[in-house]
Amino acid sequence: MTGAAVDPSRLLSHLEDILGSDPDIDEVGFIHPTQFAIFNEAIHSSPSSSSGGGPQLEDGTKPKPVQASISDTFFWHNEHKLGISTLVLDPLYRAAKDAFMDAYKRYRLLSDSHVNKDGKLDNDVLICSTSILDIVESEVMKHSKALLLLSCDFGTAWNSRKSIVLKKLPFPMFMDELRLSSLVLSYSPKSERAWSHRRWVIKMITGKYANVQEIVERDSELVKTLAENSKMNYRAWNHRCWLVSYMSHSQVLLELQHSRDWSGLHVADNSCFHYRARLLLQMIENLQHNNDADGSSGVEFHQLWKEELDWVRTLIMRYVGREALWLHRRFLSLVWMKHLANDDQSISCNYCSGTCSTVNMFIEDELMLFHSCTIIPDNDFGDYHAQAVYSATYILWLAKQLPTTFGVKLRRSSQYEVLRRLLNDVGKSCLWDSTTASCTSI
Amino acid sequence: MGELKVEKHVEYILTVEKKKDDFESVVMEHLRLNGAYWGLTTLDILGKLEAVDKEEVVSWIMQCQHESGGFGGNIGHDAHVLYTLSAIQVLALFDKIDVLDVEKVANYIASLQNEDGSFSGDIWGEIDTRFSYIAICSLALLHHLDKINVERAVEYIVSCKNLDGGFGCTPGAESHAGQIFCCVGALAITGSLHHVDKDLLGWWLCERQVKSGGLNGRPEKLPDVCYSWWVLSSLIMIDRVHWIDKGKLVNFILDCQDKQNGGISDRPDDAVDVFHTYFGVAGLSLLEYPGLKAIDPAYALPVDVINRIFIGK
Repeated sequence: MTGAAVDPSRLLSHLEDILGSDPDIDEVGFIHPTQFAIFNEAIHSSPSSSSGGGPQLEDGTKPKPVQASISDTFFWHNEHKLGISTLVLDPLYRAAKDAFMDAYKRYRLLSDSHVNKDGKLDNDVLICSTSILDIVESEVMKHSKALLLLSCDFGTAWNSRKSIVLKKLPFPMFMDELRLSSLVLSYSPKSERAWSHRRWVIKMITGKYANVQEIVERDSELVKTLAENSKMNYRAWNHRCWLVSYMSHSQVLLELQHSRDWSGLHVADNSCFHYRARLLLQMIENLQHNNDADGSSGVEFHQLWKEELDWVRTLIMRYVGREALWLHRRFLSLVWMKHLANDDQSISCNYCSGTCSTVNMFIEDELMLFHSCTIIPDNDFGDYHAQAVYSATYILWLAKQLPTTFGVKLRRSSQYEVLRRLLNDVGKSCLWDSTTASCTSI
Repeated sequence: MGELKVEKHVEYILTVEKKKDDFESVVMEHLRLNGAYWGLTTLDILGKLEAVDKEEVVSWIMQCQHESGGFGGNIGHDAHVLYTLSAIQVLALFDKIDVLDVEKVANYIASLQNEDGSFSGDIWGEIDTRFSYIAICSLALLHHLDKINVERAVEYIVSCKNLDGGFGCTPGAESHAGQIFCCVGALAITGSLHHVDKDLLGWWLCERQVKSGGLNGRPEKLPDVCYSWWVLSSLIMIDRVHWIDKGKLVNFILDCQDKQNGGISDRPDDAVDVFHTYFGVAGLSLLEYPGLKAIDPAYALPVDVINRIFIGK
């Protein structure tokens, strides 16, 4: 049975029936016809069959047999998972799009004229036209859902749902929208429209219908799950950063704590470290607002920051040559240095031996770190070379940002020439020149 | 390696333009206006814009206009600034901006500015610095920047600057080359580049170049031809393009061509598409590859088109 032989509107009806019958579908996949046969074998084999054919579900059971029908060739539905054969994607998409655009057009016409209804019309007519509008609305919702599974960034379809939900406003409808968004994101985690639809729903329900903390926790978890298979997914992590402004101070600290292990296992994921930076900056902002008289905010900040610096250092030594870790350290050290500079009394003293101030101690430590990274073992793994380069640009970057402290100390250190040569060797002398230009002006 | 297969790329784009009933085109139909911009600007840079039927394109574009004044991605689709900019840009290529009711389009865009200076993409309120760039670029091309609060718009963009010197889609978002292009472009158009720490941002941008000579969009990512545009044009606008190895980048882009069938892909040996074909050719133009029309790094349109709009015929 080929895709071409089946009436597209029948395909669409079947898809929509499945979606309507199972509102808890949480995963959609598009399956090649050859693989489809394997899925269906499992369904059509009898439960007593001991043959090895057919996939097993995660809990070790086999899928229950379902009544065989023509459309089973193109759809697979079991345990809240939906599979669609790639053979029918084309006709299915066209049918869904045509049905949606048609329903949406009728909906807009009807709702416009409904709004303008003459007050003199009798009750029966009003009720009748309301029922017709209800019917068309449910058609729009039905067809848009099918369409969005096939074309996740079809903006007009997402918008139509917003229009209808906005008019009706019951809380369960909002939850349905979140569910649809999660479903789309399960196979299209970069879908811009799915993420922005989510934010629209959250903005609508926050405070009014739902507990902010719960929403934030759930969506943060969603990003974490998706991020497992969708590395450095900008839209996903951006969503998680967006949630931070809704977090309480304690939630921020909890997120920092809970996401640490995950970050430690994904050291090449720059986005997850940026997320940590975002949380840390929020924490600083919160502490500044609280501004405790007993100085406990300062202590809290100190402790956390030191912990983060030490933790990143451990990761840097363990995972050699990972850019994301070095960039996170740039951020941490910059903020730390600025904080120390505010606290430290001896900062402007260029004449003392330098061992008295915490700023100088920190700079020395970092220069030592760089030094240790320039020792490239004989086995000459590319990673060690990368480590040397990243540590060099790390030092130089700080020197550029902090010319009067870091810059000055670097100039006087024994690492100065090593650094210059290393950067020159990898074609980064432009960065060197730009930095020394800032430093010599002191 | 070697040379740019101009004829092949022209053929590829013209084929894609005609094949609009193919499944691949059909599932992209909600953003066909963007596709028109990528395809037609590429043709213009390659000196072959006359290969398309101007009247047909203009007529189709006008059918994409929504009653609000904005444009949808295709006929019957909801309005959004993403497609509105592409509409204006394509009309600019054909010197047909005068078919627009400029007031109406400008008012649509201006209505999307928020209190804090940011811009929403459409009536549904999603905010992103991309939309700030789109609004500013569109209104500049329509000579109607007066309809928005430019100072606030600039303030908002500056609030999206990160400690690494880059910009994200909203305040506190990760720096991303695409977003950086939008922010720097918007600041350039409004004469506000003094807000950018050029050395700091130049540093972030030049670190996008990887061993192969290609550019990535963020740390730890693979190089992609589209960043040849976003990173490169940003570097040019802040006068730091000498911080990357231009020769290596040219070779990377040329390596991404499908020399048999035309078109350019995101990286060597991948499947081609119009999006990457445009960015590859535009990147080469910025790198002054011979035989290509010059392109403006802020407006992303050929320089002669920009001159026509701002200086007159």
